[in-house]
Amino acid sequence: MLWYKSWLETRWRFLIGLALVILSACASVLYYPEVMKLMPLAGTLDTGGPLGQLIREQMELMREYRGYVWLQLYRQNLTQMGTLFAVVLGSGSPLASRAALFTLSLPASRNRVLGTRAAAGLGELFVLAFVPSLLVPLLSPAVGQSYGVGSALVHATCLFFACAAFFSLAVLLSSVFADVWRPLLIALFVAGVLNVCEQAFRGLSRYAIFGLMNGEIYFRTGSLPWAGLLVSAVASGAMLYGATVRTARRDF
Amino acid sequence: MEADAFVIETSELRKIYDGVEAVRGLNLQVPAGSIYGFLGRNGAGKTTTIKMLLGMTWPSGGHARVFGLASEAQEASVEIRRRTGFVSEDKDLYDYMTVAGIIRFTAAFYPRWRDDLEQRYLRAFELPPERKVKALSRGMRTKLALLLALCRGAELLVLDEPTSGLDPAMIEEVLQALVSHVASEGGTVFFSSHQIAEVDQIADRVAIIDRGRAVLTGALDDIRENYRRIQLVFDGAAPAPTFHAPGIVRVTPQGRVLTVISSAGADRVLDEARRLSPVSVDVVPVTLKEIFLETVNEGN
Repeated sequence: MLWYKSWLETRWRFLIGLALVILSACASVLYYPEVMKLMPLAGTLDTGGPLGQLIREQMELMREYRGYVWLQLYRQNLTQMGTLFAVVLGSGSPLASRAALFTLSLPASRNRVLGTRAAAGLGELFVLAFVPSLLVPLLSPAVGQSYGVGSALVHATCLFFACAAFFSLAVLLSSVFADVWRPLLIALFVAGVLNVCEQAFRGLSRYAIFGLMNGEIYFRTGSLPWAGLLVSAVASGAMLYGATVRTARRDF
Repeated sequence: MEADAFVIETSELRKIYDGVEAVRGLNLQVPAGSIYGFLGRNGAGKTTTIKMLLGMTWPSGGHARVFGLASEAQEASVEIRRRTGFVSEDKDLYDYMTVAGIIRFTAAFYPRWRDDLEQRYLRAFELPPERKVKALSRGMRTKLALLLALCRGAELLVLDEPTSGLDPAMIEEVLQALVSHVASEGGTVFFSSHQIAEVDQIADRVAIIDRGRAVLTGALDDIRENYRRIQLVFDGAAPAPTFHAPGIVRVTPQGRVLTVISSAGADRVLDEARRLSPVSVDVVPVTLKEIFLETVNEGN
């Protein structure tokens, strides 16, 4: 029944997130022909400097459907939404509400309560990562294109593992702060700082967390980012373990 | 009484929050089958003690055992809670669940959940099963919290200020439900309160806690029997003698009247008092309220 409680407590966050990522995936695929119509205009742009180089690089990538999907969906929309909803789903401890004493009066250990909530959140995150990815190969024939299921699964895996790290960070912060807002804002602030750092050191971005999230290594080289996945899994596990230790010691 | 006859036992139990001692060396023994009133002023340490008994807060020192299990051990505290029904002071439940939903949710944790009692209390408390918890009045919420505690098939009920915030009619209804439940189902009740009248009404044993320490414990009948007010009236101004009898709580000379409160009966005091040649001697019982005020004031 703790699963049921976790579902009731997170369902609106999850369902809003699911609706938005589905909408984003559908829009990205179905607007592809419209975007392609604008491509000839891109050639007339005469912007110099790093910005011009960036635009030209992106235009080059978008000439292929695979590049368009990566740039539009994985690198932009799902990276931003994934980070946001990972943090939102992880924020707010199941033992932080006013009814915490009622939960603590049940014959369930704190680890079980927290573990169930974390597992439910990770399950929801899994759905948020895989559903939009699997929609891409499903919808692509509607715009006369094809997209490999294997590629979609790899990108979804990368998205899930990287988002799990932000989710775990929010869970850890929620075991420290009693309210829902501080974990949310601090985790988003950390995500923002990491993003700025990645922008500043673009050469290393494919090895950083947002690079892992959008699957840049896989997109550019075709190989799986095993190291990134492993580091992300270990970091997530460590933060979730930290949350259980912190919760076990806490006085209510 | 044998050690295993105590459902709750604490020994020098302590809790320090941010340098402040909320509970200071508390010693309690709650016999099985008793209705034990845990009486104290606001902030005396009642809620903190209850939280330590149920593994919600960890002791800073000493020990607490419930059913012979150490409540500071995480696994043991789960077993303690499996055998205990609890109502918190604020009665906060899951606002987003319906009455029927939170009953189903809670029942799932207790293999010995009593469906018959659930139906009985749903009717008796007139709880609407499809209404959301957040839409319930405070009184209804208290009744729901009580239902969730009573139907667990628990051997021990721990109730933290179960009637706080209720009107007198609702208090009476809740207390009657509690007494009827214990009469029909048995078990032990440990309830905290700062309402002396309700402890007096239903408890058979009592502990008065003040500033984190138990200042008086025992069977309520024994306490009532032993506490006496002896009023001595003199011709002139009352003297201020020193009594050597055991159990002297307070000696108050006021005008021609000397009032002695004793916690060990009146006989020994009377023996000493007669030597003072009072004009009249009057021995009257002391109410629990007076005992509470005397013991709490004594500590100040």
